[in-house]
Amino acid sequence: MNLFSIGISHHSASVDVRERMWLSADEVRSALARLKERYFHECVLVSTCNRTELYGIGTGPAVDEAELTRFLIDFKGASESVQGSHFLPAHATGAVNHLFKVASGVDSMVIGDIQILGQVKDAFTLARESGTLGPIMNRLMQSTLHVGKRVRTETSICEGAVSVSYAAVELASKIFADLSRKSVLLIGAGETGELTLRHLVGKGVGHVKIANRTREKAEALVAAMGGTVVDYERLVDALCTVDIVVTSVNSPTYIVQPDDVHRVMRQRSHNPLFIIDIGVPRNVNPASRKIDNVFLYDIDALSAIVDRNLQKRTAEIPKVTSIIRQELVEFLRWHNSLQIGPTIQEFREALEDIRVQEVAKNVNRFKPEDRELLDLVTRRIVNKILHQPTTVLKQGGESPGRDSENIQRVRALRELFGFSGNGEKKNEA
Amino acid sequence: MQSDIGFLVIFMPVLYAAILLAYGLSFFGSFPTIDRIKTPLLIGTVLVHCVYLALRTLAFDHPPITNLFEIMTVLAAAIAVGYTYIELRTKASTTGFFILSMAFGFQTVSSLFIRNQYDIPAYLRSMVLGFHVSAALLGYTAISLSAAYGFLYLMLYHEIKSSRFGLIYNRLPNLEMLETMSHRAEVFGFVALGIAIVIGVLWLPRVFREFSYWDPKLVGTLVIWCLYAAELSAKKRLGWQGRKTMIISLVAFGFVFLSMTVINLYLSGFHSFH
Repeated sequence: MNLFSIGISHHSASVDVRERMWLSADEVRSALARLKERYFHECVLVSTCNRTELYGIGTGPAVDEAELTRFLIDFKGASESVQGSHFLPAHATGAVNHLFKVASGVDSMVIGDIQILGQVKDAFTLARESGTLGPIMNRLMQSTLHVGKRVRTETSICEGAVSVSYAAVELASKIFADLSRKSVLLIGAGETGELTLRHLVGKGVGHVKIANRTREKAEALVAAMGGTVVDYERLVDALCTVDIVVTSVNSPTYIVQPDDVHRVMRQRSHNPLFIIDIGVPRNVNPASRKIDNVFLYDIDALSAIVDRNLQKRTAEIPKVTSIIRQELVEFLRWHNSLQIGPTIQEFREALEDIRVQEVAKNVNRFKPEDRELLDLVTRRIVNKILHQPTTVLKQGGESPGRDSENIQRVRALRELFGFSGNGEKKNEA
Repeated sequence: MQSDIGFLVIFMPVLYAAILLAYGLSFFGSFPTIDRIKTPLLIGTVLVHCVYLALRTLAFDHPPITNLFEIMTVLAAAIAVGYTYIELRTKASTTGFFILSMAFGFQTVSSLFIRNQYDIPAYLRSMVLGFHVSAALLGYTAISLSAAYGFLYLMLYHEIKSSRFGLIYNRLPNLEMLETMSHRAEVFGFVALGIAIVIGVLWLPRVFREFSYWDPKLVGTLVIWCLYAAELSAKKRLGWQGRKTMIISLVAFGFVFLSMTVINLYLSGFHSFH
């Protein structure tokens, strides 16, 4: 297989280098068109914020890595900050394996990142639209999406929040059934607090209230996200009317004490209250945690959840690797079967060529009435020679688990008889 | 028909064991195939159970409510039907292992001790009695389900409060849903028990000469009913929610369980038929 891949990712380059190599959809289309023109039968370009990778089936027997790297860097006009050494190449099975790893999220910056499969799918869609997706890449795409789907359903590598703000959202959805009927109060306008609020709103939280020491800041945030502004001085009263509280205020003392929470809980008929305290130092006295139906989490508790989830994800990697291995074998089997057919055909054509040539050369030595017989006899000889090797090759292609043997046979035959290429071209036609 | 019933007596606990195994495996592990087949398997079991109950009714010419072990298999069926309804409504199938283990327990005990009984007093063939007993059984089943969901609520509550996130946290639905399930089952049970009591008080004195308002089962059920009435009204009026109400539910169920066991096993009145 002359599949080749080259790419830049968080393994090999820092973000300032990666961002220089990021390609928009339009850029991908134009790059694909040029790449197909110059180097590839088929090619796909995956570009996300963490990686830009090129996969292709070369037209020649070998692909010039340096030239391709140069092409990509020049295409982005990034020769000042990006170097050839930022790109990592992979060949044949290695390239397929890499693509499978990327799609399953084990190669991601945060293990099990669920976005990547969608991005890979988009990349293949772009390639199809640009006409650079042939039969092999098309099959590779199906296999890749299948790997992604299996990894999601058969392993838990994507499960569990891996950021503090998502951990808070996940907890909220374990406490409340329908977030659209709940309201959230954001106290303070810190970055993590705002991010958590955005995630909660993304999950469909019904109503947003914001309180801040500087009322203008709260008003600005409300203008951006909707909701209402609450008086910072009447904070504790506001606790009676919301279900989720996110607090990230810079304050040397606790702004909410257990007595406040007790009073609030009585007023709200012990309706569950979920408090996410991301302030450092903490904003809510941790003793409040002991009160019934109060779920209080500080930054450490949330970080602990994130760490545990990351550990769990890491523990799933062997399962993912095993799925990748199975799908890799399946893909290679398909690819080999692709080669066996054309090789047999070429073998047959090569012998037939020899036969036709020799018959043409010597046909005058035979009487006209014997010429038909000559044709028949030579044809029989060729068929008899072909019979055994063809049968063995076909049987090998049909029996599973004999891929390496098949590759060797096909390769030996092609070498011995001097067939050029690898048989893929025939199938594409 | 006799041989079919004989076979089903043995087969029912096997079926329940199989669904329990399926729900257990899918709760504690990750088996996509089992996840897919467990609900159809449950529905199949419920149907077979209904056939079993129908066959018994036809073969012995009375609804299977005339003795403790007949009642237990009906109870198992009621739990399975109730759970199936909840699972199909909420699409949350992770509580099945806990709920269905009760059905499995009742069915197994029933299958071990059940006898073929032809000889029963005429009043036990009555339709009114059928309604009375069905309402009482539905009531007690719903209360058991409510307690089971209350128990799951407390387990999840504890995990969330103590930040120890294990299987319970990963697999159970959220606290609010468990609370709602428990509450709805409780309301349903309360209404059904109310109906059973009303039918009983109106109809029983006409049929039984020895009827007494001091019958232990009647008194027990009335006390239980009043207990739930008090709890439900406290929830409504005082706005009780969350952990405390779940504990009260469990305590109430504990009382139901104890009182019914004591009444059925040690006290006898006109109200026992075995």
